Amino acid sequence: MKIAFTSTGTDWDAKIDPRFGRTDFILFYDEDTEEISTLDNREIVNVAHGAGPKTAQHIFEHAPDILITGNGPGGNAAAILATMHLKIYTGAGGMTVREAYDALKNNQLPEGV
Amino acid sequence: MKEIVIISGKGGTGKTSVAAALAFIVPKAVMADCDVDAADLHLILKPEIRTSEDFYSGVKAEIDPGMCIGCWECERVCRFNAISHASSIYKVNPLDCEGCGYCNQICPAQAISLPQQMVGQCFVSDTRFGCRLVHAKLGIGADNSGKLVAKVKKEAKKEALRTGMDYILVDGSPGIGCPVISSLSGADFVILVTEPTLSGLSDLQRVWQLTDQFKIPAGCLINKADLNPQITAQIKDFLDQQGIRHLDDLPYDEDFSQAITLGQSLVEIDPPKWKTRFDLIWQSIIKELS
Repeated sequence: MKIAFTSTGTDWDAKIDPRFGRTDFILFYDEDTEEISTLDNREIVNVAHGAGPKTAQHIFEHAPDILITGNGPGGNAAAILATMHLKIYTGAGGMTVREAYDALKNNQLPEGV
Repeated sequence: MKEIVIISGKGGTGKTSVAAALAFIVPKAVMADCDVDAADLHLILKPEIRTSEDFYSGVKAEIDPGMCIGCWECERVCRFNAISHASSIYKVNPLDCEGCGYCNQICPAQAISLPQQMVGQCFVSDTRFGCRLVHAKLGIGADNSGKLVAKVKKEAKKEALRTGMDYILVDGSPGIGCPVISSLSGADFVILVTEPTLSGLSDLQRVWQLTDQFKIPAGCLINKADLNPQITAQIKDFLDQQGIRHLDDLPYDEDFSQAITLGQSLVEIDPPKWKTRFDLIWQSIIKELS
């Protein structure tokens, strides 16, 4: 399983960014290889409109199986993500990436957008 | 630190009056005016600007006359008729240019650049209420955007962290578009301010759809509730159905316009009448937050 987190940093102790479109980073954790990789999403800061769909494009390109975020994507981004084989979990705002991962494993995050 | 966003869907429901009243009541808060198209919180809070920063957003085409070979291609492809020429001098009319970049792509001499536009300024200010205010001012014809709202909120968050504040109160913009989505993003609670008119109810339903999509809990204030008891009842039914906390019914009161005329908050106009009321509203919001 490859899991994507919207995050404010690049390691396990970084806080989840509750925002989807304008998240600072997207952190990917591959459970099979136990490797972490991050995508710097801060260029989105320079986008006046349509941040959600652009971030959804980044998610699409990295094809994770699971997305963990805070408030969840807006309507336009959700429509794009719905076309992918991706489970979306929300409600992780305020947690660290590690806490969010544990919460996922303990079925404590709400699924769906 | 909790972030609370005040929105309405429909404009003119009393959103900023509520924001200004809460600015007076809420302890340890940073205010953020994200209704950048029609910023007005500063009229009441009378900010003294501490820091200001230029704000860049969007691009417009610019032709370098030294590199232009006068081939007419840019003028031919421009869908906005923003490019014209007199003899062989080609010019972009910045008011018509939408920044699509077609001319920049097609120019055989690479004479057209797309510089970022300075569209306004973002300020961090002290206010006469003691709280800090983060606000912005746009140039004429410039649009508010999700980007600018994100910038104002980011600065407010930075300021709240730096000064150890507990709350960020965000005065959002009307509508349900990009700036509103950006103001909701990352929020902990939403105050919906509505009025008992058909458009008030309809816009409330639309903006709630958006809020609910982000799974942010919300409370609703019905302003001027006594003007149309029938629609007020419909609004309450809607709140019940959707699990939105009904915070209070505010009566139609001349104090609202009086306060705006004097550049004051409702709570200053008539403290006995409004202070207790907004204290109670704030208490119910705190209860919802915990």
